[in-house]
Amino acid sequence: MSRRRAVITGIGVISPNAIGKDKFWQALKEGRSGIKPITVFDPAFLKTKLGGEVSDFKPEEFLGDKGLRNLNRSALLVCSASKLALEDSGLLITEENTDQTGVVTATTLSAVFNIAALGKEMLQDGPGLVNPAMFPGTTINSPSSQISIRHNIKGFNTTISTGYSASLDALKYAVDFINLGRAKAVLVAATEGLTFENYIGFYKIGFLAGLNGEEVSCPFDKRRNGIILAESAAVLVVEEEEYARSRNANIYAEILATESLFDAYRAGKYHPRLEGLRQCMTRAMKAADLHKEDISYISASANSVVQQDKLETEAIKDVLGVYSESVPVSAIKSMVGESVSATGLLQVAAVCGSIKQGFIPPTINYSQKDPACDLDYVPNESRQQRIENVLVNNFGPGGNNAVAIISRY
Amino acid sequence: MPNEFDQEIKILVAEVAEVSVDKLDDPNVSFSDLDVDSMKALEIAAAVEKKYKIIIPEGEIPKIKNLAQVIDMVKRLKG
Repeated sequence: MSRRRAVITGIGVISPNAIGKDKFWQALKEGRSGIKPITVFDPAFLKTKLGGEVSDFKPEEFLGDKGLRNLNRSALLVCSASKLALEDSGLLITEENTDQTGVVTATTLSAVFNIAALGKEMLQDGPGLVNPAMFPGTTINSPSSQISIRHNIKGFNTTISTGYSASLDALKYAVDFINLGRAKAVLVAATEGLTFENYIGFYKIGFLAGLNGEEVSCPFDKRRNGIILAESAAVLVVEEEEYARSRNANIYAEILATESLFDAYRAGKYHPRLEGLRQCMTRAMKAADLHKEDISYISASANSVVQQDKLETEAIKDVLGVYSESVPVSAIKSMVGESVSATGLLQVAAVCGSIKQGFIPPTINYSQKDPACDLDYVPNESRQQRIENVLVNNFGPGGNNAVAIISRY
Repeated sequence: MPNEFDQEIKILVAEVAEVSVDKLDDPNVSFSDLDVDSMKALEIAAAVEKKYKIIIPEGEIPKIKNLAQVIDMVKRLKG
């Protein structure tokens, strides 16, 4: 049985540097940063002040003004992005296709806000007086459910919370189910909201930039010293190719391969050789039947953490050999920050723009070279180039790795 | 006769139910007509409990069907 092909037909993006796919692509082309002083909470007593916050987000504009009261920021972001994606795809959910339409959402941190809010209320007012409406949001599957509810989608609904690789793991889930014939269309979503509770967590484990150095997101740069935490939501409509063609859908790109492997090393630590990522990259290229030279560019997971960017560089060099010296590698987290489970789908959305408009987004804030990171990182300015096949990396400390190959259709 | 206390409860219920205050001008209008489902009813109960420092017995909550009954319940429990 030949593999069913999976294509991307709709894109919805809400990111720190733009709302909407076209504005997002434009912001990337211009190398525009979405990192700014945080306003969604007050970082008053903290040493760091910046985050990748989505500016001017008004959920009522996307979702109307009823039923939003008890949805947390992650849910509001992803529901809004799902509306954008469905509109962009032109896919109408009907009684005929709803059972064959699935939703899979990547999110790991979104429930923390509700759990913390309930805890606070219990301590301040007593357990008998907690607001029952906050309970549904304490489960990790809450944002995903909201997507299906709002659009009346009755196929599978799954939440994937594998941290830094969740976006591509969710994409893999969708592609695998399409290949199995279990769905014709899947909304692949990803979301993380910027909240005080998440921020203080990363702050206390010393993972944020600015604690021991300049507060800047500068992947691969010598000054790098931590992430800038961010929020974002992205939704892609992924369809089985023949189904997309039968309704004359606009196709942005094809998903040629998806791989996922776990480095069973130590919690919160990078495997010293990032074995999982290397294997994913190799297997993905093999599954896509591509040679090294067929890779037009690599969308890196580099996030301004000393080890992360160095290990990714080494993995690329190991997998691509001599060709690694000529393949462009860029990190959009330099512009949008690290939104953990969501940035991966932002990367894929960006790649669709790269393929459609022929540009590679830059790695901005690049000014000091690190001898350990010596590839072509497309520093500071985007580059015009025809794009055929892009390798997209997703990983972080803790073991999760995923890779996708997104190609011109 | 509407007074400040009744008005206060009316505004609170309107906020939780996500309806404009004027939709509750008739305190006997049924909550189900305003799309207030059982979850919202629980939320309304929790909100008035918190604000007026009362506890509504669990068995009483499903009996609350309109604003008038909410006001009545609060007055009874507050004493």
